[in-house]
Amino acid sequence: MFKYSLKRIVSMCITLFLIATITFILMRSIPGGPFTSERNLTPEIEKALMEKYNLDAPLHEQYFDYMKGLLKGDLGVSYKKKGVTVNEIIAQTFPASAEIGVLAVVLILVIGIPLGVLSALKQNSAIDYVIMIIATIGVTIPSFVIGTFIMYVFGEKLAWIPAGGIEEWKGYIGPVIALAGFSVAYVTRLTRSTMLEVLRQDYIRTARANGLSKWRVIGKHALKNALIPVVTYVGPMIASILTGSFVVEKIFAIPGMGKYFVESVTNRDYTIIMGITIFYAAIYIVMVFIVDIAYGLVDPRIKLKD
Amino acid sequence: MNKGSEWELLDSAEKSAQVIARPSHTYWQDAWRMLRKNVLAMIGLFTIIAIALCAIFLPMFSSVSYSDQQQGFGNIPPRIALTSLGDGSYVYVHSEYKLIEVSENGEILSAPEPIEKNDIKSFKTYEINGKEVTLDYSNAKYAKKNGGAKYKILVDGQEVDITPVKTVWNKTNLLGTDGLGRDVLIRVLYGARISLTVGLVASVVNLIIGIIYGGISGYEGGRIDSIMMRIVDIINSVPSLLIVILLMVVYKPGLQTIIITIGLIYWVGMARLVRGQVLSLKEQEFVLAARTIGVSKFKIIMRHLIPNAMGPIIVSLTMSIPSAIFTESFLSFIGLGVSAPQASWGTLANDALGGIRSYPYQLIAPAVAIAITMFAFNFLGDGLRDALDPRLRK
Repeated sequence: MFKYSLKRIVSMCITLFLIATITFILMRSIPGGPFTSERNLTPEIEKALMEKYNLDAPLHEQYFDYMKGLLKGDLGVSYKKKGVTVNEIIAQTFPASAEIGVLAVVLILVIGIPLGVLSALKQNSAIDYVIMIIATIGVTIPSFVIGTFIMYVFGEKLAWIPAGGIEEWKGYIGPVIALAGFSVAYVTRLTRSTMLEVLRQDYIRTARANGLSKWRVIGKHALKNALIPVVTYVGPMIASILTGSFVVEKIFAIPGMGKYFVESVTNRDYTIIMGITIFYAAIYIVMVFIVDIAYGLVDPRIKLKD
Repeated sequence: MNKGSEWELLDSAEKSAQVIARPSHTYWQDAWRMLRKNVLAMIGLFTIIAIALCAIFLPMFSSVSYSDQQQGFGNIPPRIALTSLGDGSYVYVHSEYKLIEVSENGEILSAPEPIEKNDIKSFKTYEINGKEVTLDYSNAKYAKKNGGAKYKILVDGQEVDITPVKTVWNKTNLLGTDGLGRDVLIRVLYGARISLTVGLVASVVNLIIGIIYGGISGYEGGRIDSIMMRIVDIINSVPSLLIVILLMVVYKPGLQTIIITIGLIYWVGMARLVRGQVLSLKEQEFVLAARTIGVSKFKIIMRHLIPNAMGPIIVSLTMSIPSAIFTESFLSFIGLGVSAPQASWGTLANDALGGIRSYPYQLIAPAVAIAITMFAFNFLGDGLRDALDPRLRK
């Protein structure tokens, strides 16, 4: 276990390094510097700007500088917002995304898994059909459609929730539902199908025949095994939800990281794009790692290879 | 013992009754039979065909194109409330406080230019059918707060009843028009072309890269396989949407870029699937037989291994089309999609977002189109999975 973790951590560092390199190369291969789009700058000013941000140095030097900064956890300075570092921007915007993200993840797990189990236990009943129809609708409608409809109906027409922002608690309702919608439906479908498969196994019948109560069999024997594919999906999902959905934050005007990322994409603020990408990738990789560790806990049969 | 009475020959009809057999079907015939029985999958299939046919042919029969702008006809909804001016002529009072001349059954006749217009006193005067029609909306601000009529209409100085006589469907623009007076239906159909093209082409690109990469990796095995799979792992450990966005920033946004980036990023799943299939198939005797008679590696992969793995590949392909459409509409939605006046479902939804308070129908049309397409592909994909997976055969 320890050796495995160590090996994984080393490979995670390598992956992160590769991602940073790739993003660096991609960002630098864009024709024109970050200041070309601004109002006609005189060559002198442009030169001064390039010097200030160390963009006139040879490419490999810039790369080593960036990597050195990265090792210290320094993601650089924004080109467009004067005097603001990328670290500050992440520190400002991540909490809003994370708050909504955590709520969405809780909603997904608390609603998705029980609904899936219920649907599997009552297979081919009316409840099953209703749950499956709703879940299918949930996976087929894009989050920006769900989001705008929630905003239009509950924010504008009925005015139950504020039309944007998260100043009051009601403001969380819309974005959390829009963010969780797809994943709730997906987790429900996934739980149902794996649960159905597990319930047909012989050991479930044996457990019942041995006189264990129905709920004990479901909770202890069936669900635990059925959750493995769910765990696989939920890990990376948590990462992407925590860092904020670009769309949901745009619709509900939430000052989160996703919205900021999209803005910096349109502003061509390269250091921010790079910084957020690396930050996001780091969370993603850590989540995948946690999932792999969690496999071993959920199912002792899965041995982590050294 | 009389042998003859106990043992006698069966007649031939009874013999054939003992044969337990059905006409033999090939794998594909069997799959098609299973699929045909699946109502939802068939609905999905026909919906996709219908959408594709509509997208290809309907715009050809329309007199307007997706980019034709009509001055003065912007933001007309699909349902219009008619206000009678007496003498059988009707107008629609636009939410931007202007009058549109409409026939009784809902054809848009004209958007007359006001002969007199006063923004300060808030009235516009038109000449319709030789009569002087004045739209007075000076009460609008007050009515917004306190209720009551927002405007009044005067025909030749006489105030007329502004309660709509009836609400009819817009016959000229079935789904209304957008802010620049472009027909929403035509734009949604045109968007279907773009969205379906992206979905299809990107999936085919995925398929080709995935089959070649996964085929080589699975067939070669050993060191080559583990190196190739490490590369896949690395690509997989980066959130794919981020790479797509990065590539879209680097290259010029546009249809080709979208297709290429989606195709270049999402092949990883297909490659893994093909590799897994090839790994399990390559140990079988028919591959060994092919090898002994000296068939080349490439030919073994393409002629013997891939066709046998076609079932799961097709299922994965049907599932990857909607996810490509999803990705495209998502990219368009955040402003990295096709550029105007071209329109995909994502850009249409994005454009409509600004005016959602006043003109929700502009968002509903592309949103419903996306949802229906997603439904259709999902149902078809589920049906294909059931039909092509031998384990689920009865």
